[in-house]
Amino acid sequence: MNSEILQSSNTISNFKIDPRTKIIVLVILNLMVFGEAPLYATISMVSIPFFLLLFNKRKKVALIYISAYTLALLGEIFLVPATHGILNLLIVMITNLLVRMMPGIIMGYYLIVTTTVSEFLASMEKTRIPKMISIPISVVFRFLPTLIEEIRAILDAMHMRGIGLNLKTVKSPLTVLEYILVPLLINAVKTGDELSAASLTRGLGNPIKRTHICEVGFHIQDIILLTISVAALIIFLLFK
Amino acid sequence: MNNKLNTKDLITTGIFTTIYIVIFFTCGMLGYIPILLVLLPLICPIVTGIPFMLFLTKVKKFGMVTIMGLIIGLVMFLTGHTFVPVITGLIFGLAADLIFKAGNYQSFRNSVIGYGVFSLFILGAMVPMWVMRDSYFVHMSSSMGTEYVNTVMALTPEWMFFVLIIIAFVAGIIGAFLGKSVLEKHFKRAGIA
Repeated sequence: MNSEILQSSNTISNFKIDPRTKIIVLVILNLMVFGEAPLYATISMVSIPFFLLLFNKRKKVALIYISAYTLALLGEIFLVPATHGILNLLIVMITNLLVRMMPGIIMGYYLIVTTTVSEFLASMEKTRIPKMISIPISVVFRFLPTLIEEIRAILDAMHMRGIGLNLKTVKSPLTVLEYILVPLLINAVKTGDELSAASLTRGLGNPIKRTHICEVGFHIQDIILLTISVAALIIFLLFK
Repeated sequence: MNNKLNTKDLITTGIFTTIYIVIFFTCGMLGYIPILLVLLPLICPIVTGIPFMLFLTKVKKFGMVTIMGLIIGLVMFLTGHTFVPVITGLIFGLAADLIFKAGNYQSFRNSVIGYGVFSLFILGAMVPMWVMRDSYFVHMSSSMGTEYVNTVMALTPEWMFFVLIIIAFVAGIIGAFLGKSVLEKHFKRAGIA
């Protein structure tokens, strides 16, 4: 995943979607999977990220996603009413996590790997969202994968010194927390300084209106996606 | 010194919000065990106290904590909570911001109380459990199974809500002291606080 984060948009195919469309689809998708929508409407929404990933040459993620989702959905429909006790809790935990969380996470993954920060900021500026909101949000999007990478590296390093999930750590959770959080925070502060230096160099701090080299706007593919999503939302609201 | 937020402040806010969200959701996963769902307001503020206290050493202007609360609320909305966390995030973020400002972003007493107030926003995720009790549990049983819901229902009588407010506030104060001690022990020495 590491190499994907640093890619700019020109290496990805010319099948481009406006960041605003992606966000709207993400919101509607989340409303649908957590709500009580009719199954066919949910499935039509859930398959959107699958096709989007397929068109963006990420076949592996797309296939893993759709097969895991199907299995979890079948499990929820058939296994959950049939089991009791601890086994039921366990199955509920797993299927619920996959059915409810995964579509959103995959759509979010698609949003993060295919949207560059400049694209996001350009579209936000077009919609006249104030900088005070758009800049922190773009930092959250940009920084999340880096942070997860970092946590993984720290856990690996700590594992080498015998600090991980074992009996000793259960006795002193605060110490383990300290060992993981302190390096993470020190790293994060440094990254933050570098990030702000880099963005100031690119003129993000300028008071005047910025111009953009990347083009954002609604095209035919955006309109198709939005139509499907809004139709699914209307069905969801009508048949609630 | 102008009081407007510059780009560096906004980026700092974004970075600490990301850390907060990751830690918060890792703790939130514990909510799948029914008893711990009620204890979440106790666990989350204590653990997130450490990044938050470090964040406070970077905050010198009004508005950063408010933005943080708003974005956390938005992310919670996107990950399947109701719209309530967006509102509570904004309200308690603003309240905490006012308290920090009253202490000029320097006073330790204000930052402890302010973090306690900020921690209350977590209740936004739990308010529907009481206000829209019936429809919320119907919604929950469809996704989590009836056994989970029965356990949760037994654990959350009406008076529990007021207990949770106190728990969240106290947990915020404990988290603030924990964060402060870690701050003194590590970050001051490393020269980044």
